[in-house]
Amino acid sequence: MEEGMYRAVSGGRIALQRRQYSASCREFSVRCPRLQLRSLSAATCSVWLAAYGLFVLSQNSMVLSAAIFITLIGLIVYLHFVKIDQESLLVIGSLGIQMTSSYASGKENTTFIEMSQVKDVVINEAIYMQKVIYYLCILLQDPREPHGVSEVVPLFQSSKPRLDCLVEVYRSCQEILEQRKTSDFTRTLN
Amino acid sequence: MVENSPAPLPERAIYGFVLFLGSQFGFMLYLVWAYVPESWLFSLGLTYWPQKYWAVALPVYLLVTLGIGYVLLFGINMMSTAPLNSMHTITDNFAKNQQQKKSQEEAIPALRDIPISEVNQMFFLADKGICNRN
Repeated sequence: MEEGMYRAVSGGRIALQRRQYSASCREFSVRCPRLQLRSLSAATCSVWLAAYGLFVLSQNSMVLSAAIFITLIGLIVYLHFVKIDQESLLVIGSLGIQMTSSYASGKENTTFIEMSQVKDVVINEAIYMQKVIYYLCILLQDPREPHGVSEVVPLFQSSKPRLDCLVEVYRSCQEILEQRKTSDFTRTLN
Repeated sequence: MVENSPAPLPERAIYGFVLFLGSQFGFMLYLVWAYVPESWLFSLGLTYWPQKYWAVALPVYLLVTLGIGYVLLFGINMMSTAPLNSMHTITDNFAKNQQQKKSQEEAIPALRDIPISEVNQMFFLADKGICNRN
């Protein structure tokens, strides 16, 4: 198991963990930095100061309770729906590819793509907001029509690693996908 | 077939001069309407004018439209950018329908779109000494 520190597109630090379970099975996990106490307290203080300012202007104490309520609900919603802790990619050569995102509240989202639908894993460049970023994506094909790309599935959407991290993951994935091509070839020969 | 060229022609000179005279006349008319008091205009017999309110309102409307137009153009640009999971970032109709001609010996190969898998292999799987990437 190897671990490396890299940077995300936004500049934050992320950690890439690579595990090799067997010759055709590898897992890559990208871990984002956890929610910092200073940003949490900064946000809470600013919301509460604004609410206190409103209270001084309007003399309505409901503003203060509403601010506390909003802060709590907002924090819970943020941790459960927005803040992603870790995104991992599990590539099993003969079976498929599984993507898992785990949120800070413990929720996990999993997607599995069968290997016959996977055409290739490539690094694509696209315009995102006001930047051009590199991102890793899976090209899906229709099993009946092997020469066309039917869909593009972007990976590591929340952590957005930079090119050096993506190249590591790309090279590892290509090693596994090449084994699939050689095994297909020997199967069609026999 | 008529050739389009930006060279000066007599017709273009006439159009330009008519436009110049028309715009100067329009501007003078606007100034007269905005500044001359109504009583003087009525005494001349010209009674059917729009309200003077519009002499101030219309320029304000135009400037606000200009300001909103900047924001709107920015937003339209962002909306029409293809999302990261769209097929338009990989290929398009022209690339799908291009012909796969066999390259002849000693001839320059035909221009074609290289598939993204090949491009990736060239960039990222080739030996590091060959390509110099930032």
